[in-house]
Amino acid sequence: MPNRWHGDVRGRVDVSEYRRTPSWRLASAVLCTWLVTGAGRAGAESAEPAPEPAPPASDAETVDPPAGEAETAAPATDGMEAETSADEPTTDGAVEEVAAPEAELTPEQQAEIEAALAADQAEREEAQGAAAEGEESGRAGLGRGLGRFFQSLNPDLSFILDLAFAWYSTDEHLETGEHDPAENGFNFQQLELSVRATVDPYFRFDGNLVIGADEVELEEAYATTLGLPGRFQLRLGQMLTRFGRINGTHPHSWDFVDQPFAIGRVFGSEGNSGLGLELSWLTPLPWYVEVVGSATDAEGETTNRSFYGDHDPGFDGLEDFLYLVAIKQFFPLSDDWSLSWGISAAFGPNGTGTDARTEVYATDIYLKWRPISQQSYQIVSLTTEWLYRRRDVPGDTLQDVTGYVQVFWRFSRRWATAARYEYGSPPYGSDGDPSGDDDLDPSWTDHRHRVAVSFTFWPTEFSRLRLQGLVDVPQWRDEVVWAGMLAAEFVTGEHGAHVF
Amino acid sequence: MRSFASILLAITLLLGSGAARADLEVVATTPDLASVAMAIGGAHAKVSALALPTQDPHWVDARPHLALKLARADMLLVVGLGLEVGWLPTLLTGSRNLNVQNGGRGHVDCSELIEPLEVAQARIDRSQGDVHAGGNPHYMFDPRAAAQVIDGVAARMAVLDPPNAGTYRANAASFKTRLATARIGWEKQLSGLRGAKVIDYHKSFPYLESWLGFHVVEHLEPRPGIPPNPRHVAQVLALAKQQKVRIVLQESFYPDRTGQLVATQAGAKLVRIPAGPDLSARQGYIEFMGQVVALLRGATD
Repeated sequence: MPNRWHGDVRGRVDVSEYRRTPSWRLASAVLCTWLVTGAGRAGAESAEPAPEPAPPASDAETVDPPAGEAETAAPATDGMEAETSADEPTTDGAVEEVAAPEAELTPEQQAEIEAALAADQAEREEAQGAAAEGEESGRAGLGRGLGRFFQSLNPDLSFILDLAFAWYSTDEHLETGEHDPAENGFNFQQLELSVRATVDPYFRFDGNLVIGADEVELEEAYATTLGLPGRFQLRLGQMLTRFGRINGTHPHSWDFVDQPFAIGRVFGSEGNSGLGLELSWLTPLPWYVEVVGSATDAEGETTNRSFYGDHDPGFDGLEDFLYLVAIKQFFPLSDDWSLSWGISAAFGPNGTGTDARTEVYATDIYLKWRPISQQSYQIVSLTTEWLYRRRDVPGDTLQDVTGYVQVFWRFSRRWATAARYEYGSPPYGSDGDPSGDDDLDPSWTDHRHRVAVSFTFWPTEFSRLRLQGLVDVPQWRDEVVWAGMLAAEFVTGEHGAHVF
Repeated sequence: MRSFASILLAITLLLGSGAARADLEVVATTPDLASVAMAIGGAHAKVSALALPTQDPHWVDARPHLALKLARADMLLVVGLGLEVGWLPTLLTGSRNLNVQNGGRGHVDCSELIEPLEVAQARIDRSQGDVHAGGNPHYMFDPRAAAQVIDGVAARMAVLDPPNAGTYRANAASFKTRLATARIGWEKQLSGLRGAKVIDYHKSFPYLESWLGFHVVEHLEPRPGIPPNPRHVAQVLALAKQQKVRIVLQESFYPDRTGQLVATQAGAKLVRIPAGPDLSARQGYIEFMGQVVALLRGATD
């Protein structure tokens, strides 16, 4: 192991030297990144197989970084820590190794092993100390160069894998979300590849490719301006619109395994998304008020319940777009309490006839309690969102209301539970009676209620296990649908930033 | 719609003309950096922090009003080294403020001003827990690192607000002198800590360790970001007894039951220190470090 450190050190000295010459920094980073990456990876890979068969070796690998860290400590000193850096890693590293396999070692045994390791360590430190003396600042620079190198000019990538096992009491059930586990048995919900990068000083780029069981789908790919004058922001590309609260988010940030049916019913299985352009404005009011407007395509799978859907009449004019207007406000009630409130509206053509239009109006509230003014891991939040929709259909106008209310409680660092109630009304005709002829969504003819309860366990913020129970009562059917789901999520790669 | 727009415009004008604006609006991600900016900026700077000292700076909610603060800021001080990676990008994008974006004139990554410890020397992965490849981000616990931050922040303030450049430099110089004087006193007070064995909760103290010369022999978290489990705690406790650990050290935003247990059973003292100065009580950086020193002193006697 130490040899590998040393090998790496030599291999990367160049980078650090450039790093220390600011004018060279950017250019050299570009030129050297790939060279060095190649070298670094080759080194790491060749060393990787070794730890696998021998657990103690892999433990040593885990423990090693502190040792390496202490080495960098040396150059940062002005003398007084020399002692620290010589001793600290010894005890630290040695003890964890000794303790891990067998906690019941007698103190004597432990001390013995430790002494041996300490001797080795001291020897090693000595050798390194001699080497370091000549190039103290060079070593510090090297460490930093390496750190930066991990944050190279490549985009940040992460893969999010969602898997589920589901059981439904009937063969025909009514999950509406594209990534809901809709089959009895194992379900591949999605593999999401998320790509994020700053394009240049003026734009950032975000992309989400969703790899399903049998297709790859470009869910989002858009650019966002970073600093237009007047606090405006432009987003252009393929994107989930910022309608309401949940529509613009991904399964990773949901409190349940599945999507609320409000989104699937009103917009389609993927929510409201499309190719287009969004302009938003952060108003100069003393509290947070953001005004959002967007224009996107009204065609495609994501719009088939209310707008054109697969019906593509071609583009005739500006009235063929799906328009969205939203106002989002946020009130920091205290350090511990937050309230956000949004109102949204969407307007666009639907495919039932010429000049047939659809309008959707919605409001959403998110109230969150997270005590940060004292030690706590608790979070309690209330989310509710209600959508009212009017659609022109031949000879009539249909209106309906759909929404959900959910409560989430994280009661400890790793555990949370949540409950959700959802309701969808039948489409009412202009005479006030539930209408039977809804060509856009022929099956939904009556009230629907659904209740779900979930339990979540996060081993770390990068993995999640979730158990969910569900009761669905679509009143146009004779039977109640019961369901249970067990879902797992794994996130790898760069840590993405969370939205509120 | 038109009347709504004109009302907004009127309010904008009112706010723009009415409010007395500081020469420099500074936002820092953490209270320690904010307290440094306050000392340097003096009356010319309006400074606020995004995180509270009672809050884990790894896990700050990207509450939208924080983006509003960033939208108004001339200068942003970040700890860097990946500490804010889970929340700051959202706020920066939301701020629509070119000055404070990465690479902007007002964006200061303070980790570039210091010599980081625990820089990854080989390829890392998440089996090691929440590791920070670029180095450990808790450097403000070392007053010597803080002195480097003071220099860097003052230099940037001078660039951003040239008319007051002299004041910033003078404030920084006097602040550094006070800090250096205080540091000598602290080092004397804590000379008994040199060589002492310490257990901490999270890997939050390599800089404090490097400054004061104590040895952190083990962490209550089995790996950074992974909460303590019984098996690991048993090992830590055995080690604490064997190594005659004197102090169990943790930041106050971590739960203290485990630390208390280990401290009691091992005959050590539990020291809970805040993550940064309490700005609402007008605590400055020197007073904060004085408090940290006093807490450690209390445990060494």
